[in-house]
Amino acid sequence: MPISDETLRRMVAEYGGFELSDAELELVKPELESYLAELQNLRDLDLSSVMSSRLLRAQEGGEADA
Amino acid sequence: MPSSELLNLTISELAPLIQAREVSPVDVTEAALAEAERRQPALNSFITILHEQAMAQAEQAEESLARGEYLGPLHGIPIGIKDNIATGGIRTTVGSKVLRDHVPDEDAEVVRRCKEAGAIILGKENLEEFAAGATSNNPHYGAVHNPWGLEHIPGGSSGGGGANVASGVTFASLGTDLGGSVRLPGAFCGVVGLKQTFGRVSQRGLMVTSFNGDHIGPLTRSVRDSALVLQAIAGYDPLDPSTVPVPVDDYSLVLERGIQGLTMGIPSNYYFEMLDPEVETAVRRAIAALEELGIASREISVPSMEYAGALRFASMADSVVTHEALIASHREDYGPDTLYRTLAGQFVLGRDYSKAMKVQRIIKEEHARVLQQVDFLVTPTTPLPAPRIDAQTIPVGGEQQKVRGPGSGFISRNTSPMNATGFPAITLPCGFSEAGLPIGLQFIGRPWEEGTLFRVGQAYEDVSPSRGVRPALD
Repeated sequence: MPISDETLRRMVAEYGGFELSDAELELVKPELESYLAELQNLRDLDLSSVMSSRLLRAQEGGEADA
Repeated sequence: MPSSELLNLTISELAPLIQAREVSPVDVTEAALAEAERRQPALNSFITILHEQAMAQAEQAEESLARGEYLGPLHGIPIGIKDNIATGGIRTTVGSKVLRDHVPDEDAEVVRRCKEAGAIILGKENLEEFAAGATSNNPHYGAVHNPWGLEHIPGGSSGGGGANVASGVTFASLGTDLGGSVRLPGAFCGVVGLKQTFGRVSQRGLMVTSFNGDHIGPLTRSVRDSALVLQAIAGYDPLDPSTVPVPVDDYSLVLERGIQGLTMGIPSNYYFEMLDPEVETAVRRAIAALEELGIASREISVPSMEYAGALRFASMADSVVTHEALIASHREDYGPDTLYRTLAGQFVLGRDYSKAMKVQRIIKEEHARVLQQVDFLVTPTTPLPAPRIDAQTIPVGGEQQKVRGPGSGFISRNTSPMNATGFPAITLPCGFSEAGLPIGLQFIGRPWEEGTLFRVGQAYEDVSPSRGVRPALD
């Protein structure tokens, strides 16, 4: 899922970010590619039931409530 | 005692000699300063060596001993401080050009506590620029070299501390660990590196860092020394809201308890994947040695680690916010590795940051559950021994992995998860590669139970193939 240079430039402009030249965009991309790969990895992970706190039965190691 | 012998003692060996006034803090400090100067051309482990201040402190330590005032096991012990930890009146650069002339007004809380305990601050130690990487190859102050192989990295970002402790320049160093930056130099330099529970030690005075997951922790030559230093720096700091008022154990008593009845968990997934074969062999041997010592073992699984890569979303976004003002005013003073790795963070969406927080929650809960079944986990600290300083990539498991800069992170894959959970973890040496480079063994424990890690670590230390082996520097 690549992001085009144009998209990145628009994000920088619209969100008040740091400008990047063409050469600098190439240097940043390995980090972004890693980010995007991990996002892809999360695609099928359901995070909707993860709450800010959950009860754990410490002695039993089991989850009391989801 | 000859200075070479003196400087190779551990703190727990030297402290009784100082207390009995058989060894003078002035003599130890003079020897350590001379060693620091002698090693600096090869190791480049310091940014600033504090000759005058260290000698003045040593003389004070001597005077208080003469008055019958003994402050404890750090009294008169020369230590190093990573140069991203504030020292009042002493330049603190964070390894950057941007802050090359920055002089803080006051000491970080950990420095204050070390001084109060009588430690001598020998110098400010070299590190990765802004502590943002695993190599300690600093573009402004030069690369730190590994005393076990000068062409190799010492690990980072607290590389100066690892090199100094391993080579007998300092008896301990305070490093910082946001993704493994104490444990990686510990592993690559063959010393003990501790990242205690988040909230156990004040971060006040730790400069230019993330809000999430950074820890100040000790590098030492033994597990007992690690416990001694933690004892000195641990505790609630009312001026640092990240600290938690949980009572600190007396680790000297904890260490007497032995290891009977303990069970270790051996992860069946993630932590033993993508390993250099020499690392896997050394760690499996260490596990066998622990079993021979009487520790029961049990295979455990942490399936959520499949998503551990998402933890970096938060650190990417945190990083750009942390550096925003400095980049805006001094962008040209940044090295490319830190700059472009940091600037990638501006593209992380808030939605993805929130996802990372939820993944962090799942991983933390899963480790908490597993650690109800066993007393601690055992893993390799790093996937491989120290790469060469000039390496851009390293081959592991048939793939090329980046060593530094944007897209890197492989070296810290086994250490960074515990920065996200906040659980304590310690590395100690468990042997060597064929090239003679140290290999690290990591123990992960329950929150606030550093004592368990010390107990197991001390027991293993006695049977480790690394025991008594020191780097052969000239």
